[in-house]
Amino acid sequence: MKRMLSLLTALAMALALAACGGNSGDSSNGGGSSSGGGASGWPEKTINIYVTHAAGGDTDYMARQLGEALQKELGQSVVCTNVTGSNGATCMQQYKDGDTDGYTFIASNTAALNGNEATSMVDFGYDAFEPVAIYGIQSGENIVVPADAPYDDLEGFIEASKANPGQIKYGTSTGGGVYIQTCVLTNLGGAQFNIIDAGDAANRLTALLGGEVDGTSLPYSTAADYIENGQLKSLCTCLSKAPAMMPDQKSASETIPELIVDTEYVLLAPKGTPAELVEAMNAAILKVTGTDEWKTMVNEYCYQDPFVLNVADSTTNLKEQRDLFQSFVPFL
Amino acid sequence: MILQGLLEVLQPMTIVLVAIGTAVGIIFGSIPGLTATMAIVMFLPVTYSMTASEGISMLMALYIGGISGGLISAILLNIPGTPSSVATCFDGKPLADKGEAGKALGTGVVFSFVGTIIGIGLLMILAPVLCDFALKFQAYEYCALAVFSLSMVIALTGHDMPKGLISAVLGALLATVGLAPIDSKPRFTFGLYQLNNGFALVVLLIGLFAIAEVMAYAETVRQKQDFTIRSNVKIKGVGFTFKEFVGQLRNAVVSALIGVGIGILPGIGGGVSCMISYTVSKNTSKRRELYGTGIMDGVVASETANNGTIGGAMIPLLSLGIPGDAATAMLLGGLQIHNVAPGPLIYEKNGVVVYAIFFAMVLSAIFMMLFMLLGMRFFVTVLKVPKNYLLPVVVVLCAIGAIGNANMIFDTYCMVGFGLMSYLLIKSKVPTVPMILGFILGPTFEQNLRRVSQLTSSDPFWNHPIFCVLIIATAFVVVFSVRANLKDAQRAQEAERQALKAGGADE
Repeated sequence: MKRMLSLLTALAMALALAACGGNSGDSSNGGGSSSGGGASGWPEKTINIYVTHAAGGDTDYMARQLGEALQKELGQSVVCTNVTGSNGATCMQQYKDGDTDGYTFIASNTAALNGNEATSMVDFGYDAFEPVAIYGIQSGENIVVPADAPYDDLEGFIEASKANPGQIKYGTSTGGGVYIQTCVLTNLGGAQFNIIDAGDAANRLTALLGGEVDGTSLPYSTAADYIENGQLKSLCTCLSKAPAMMPDQKSASETIPELIVDTEYVLLAPKGTPAELVEAMNAAILKVTGTDEWKTMVNEYCYQDPFVLNVADSTTNLKEQRDLFQSFVPFL
Repeated sequence: MILQGLLEVLQPMTIVLVAIGTAVGIIFGSIPGLTATMAIVMFLPVTYSMTASEGISMLMALYIGGISGGLISAILLNIPGTPSSVATCFDGKPLADKGEAGKALGTGVVFSFVGTIIGIGLLMILAPVLCDFALKFQAYEYCALAVFSLSMVIALTGHDMPKGLISAVLGALLATVGLAPIDSKPRFTFGLYQLNNGFALVVLLIGLFAIAEVMAYAETVRQKQDFTIRSNVKIKGVGFTFKEFVGQLRNAVVSALIGVGIGILPGIGGGVSCMISYTVSKNTSKRRELYGTGIMDGVVASETANNGTIGGAMIPLLSLGIPGDAATAMLLGGLQIHNVAPGPLIYEKNGVVVYAIFFAMVLSAIFMMLFMLLGMRFFVTVLKVPKNYLLPVVVVLCAIGAIGNANMIFDTYCMVGFGLMSYLLIKSKVPTVPMILGFILGPTFEQNLRRVSQLTSSDPFWNHPIFCVLIIATAFVVVFSVRANLKDAQRAQEAERQALKAGGADE
């Protein structure tokens, strides 16, 4: 039986390898050209990217797309591993003081990174890492209500809540970006909702369809079908400006200037990773995201145009969002 | 569109992927610590580069194989391979101990197939109707459902009710570790970030069943052992007769319906469905006193229900985009990545893929039955391996599963801790199964209770008939089970007294 079991494990591994092979087979003979960004010899071995959110979500998808492209460019395997929990805090905590030899990276999104700090889920911010690159922007969260609701924009929605304080039920998810957004809506926008926790995006959708809440925030992709078939309507996006592929959307910041939740995909390195390695990685990212293939993928998946920043701009960008989120802290 | 879907699945590549997926799923399912969810998580990134039908067919196969594989270790080792097969141990293991491992496995496999097919059938025919039902379940209803399901604990524990309740409450308490639902306040974490996510169900499950089983065995290690293990396990056909199969049909249909029903409700899942179905089957059976001694009925109830849950869970996933458990949440991600957006328009926009999913599920169910029936002869050889060789291997595999859960060594410490706890509980005759129920349902109850408290100002409970019905039903279950329990206890006492008398007379 021991043989049997080891056979089974071996079989499982072989299958896993075979299956992975389909994915990564072209690594060895691909590109192979070193990006030559000043870090001579790097990379010499497998690069690990730890993804802060679960497989299947957008953060994971983007990280894996990036990993696959980098693998071809750098000529070394790039392995993405999901370490999930607490809106990414578990992974960040685990790897923020990880190896600084340029083979450990963390893929996350800026709303989780800055949001977890603002809501005091963790006691560190982006400066506990070496930011490598911001490499994309999400399709955005939209404020969504049933299609037959009497209001068509965020302003009307807020007015309706003021006319009937505490009677309009707004679904939120305490702790993450949606929570921050809800707090801004009520504290700076003056909305007088009855705030109900309605869980994650799928649960908020159920609550909205089942009539448990009168409005909520949903990722555009989750709500798209219901908007199309006339069950729901979107009042605005919470991005600072509408996604490139959907330019007609209003932005929440037109009504409430502070209501901006720009979720961007970010790659981080553990604190202390040498600057030349960070720069080399950034150079490789800038290169692989400049292709048509990448643009098509981003257009389809994020409804956005590629948005990739160098190290200095990434850091500035992170700081701006952090400052904005920190200004919300008094009422979070 | 239906034909096109069928054609997509009948591509040689897709068939191969489904076969591989099913086989890998069975392996993941049968190894305690590796679950269907993990199989899907591991293979999800692999499917990124496949076509939608290929990728999703493979994921479905992993799901079905993973849920089904759990019965192997449940029956042969008394260690459930997945949370969904906890109740399979109750009768599967005693049946195997009687030398009828083949019958137990055959029953499990065939009725897993029956459950899957009933689930898929309902999924194909009734999805839109059942969706409306699922949407009616909101905070109030979940709250009541959790209470109702927890009342099943009483029925699960048999005559020692207080110990059963202790176990269930312990489970619910363990589930409070980590970030609180809704406000994300850390509870009982002692500043350890590893505890922020709370304990994983799979880690608890390994500790409670696998580690405790090994420790219990370790007690006997110094005794003289008879290493020649009965190898008289003969398997004819599928291990049971056609007459027995027909005799189980009513039980199977009821169990499958329970499984589908629980599957439809997001967030409850196979772990609960097998236990509830087992309890219901036991309490409505004419030979309820035989449950737990190793009869087919128990295995049928558990295995039909957990596989029925698969079809059930797919209903809200496909028609509403709402995942029913951790595994379907992964599937949702898999669908979205292939640009299939589950929701009301899925039939219009991705009809071919939907039908491909249905056919892939049927195909996978067939492969599952085939592989497992063929493999049965090999599986039972596990019983011939001396346990002092076998169990360490199992522990290592469990530890791998625990680490794989979140890439943390920390989880193996928890696993050992739970093992020690479970050992002490078993020594004090506290059953550990209610703990699993408490662990799963405790958070559901807490979270929805807190939501209800937010809602109640603008939406009082009398607007929720399902809530009221469930609460009244709970009251009935509690009163009746307590009464039945007391009677049983009295009878047992009387029997004891008479036995004593008889004993006294002998002297």
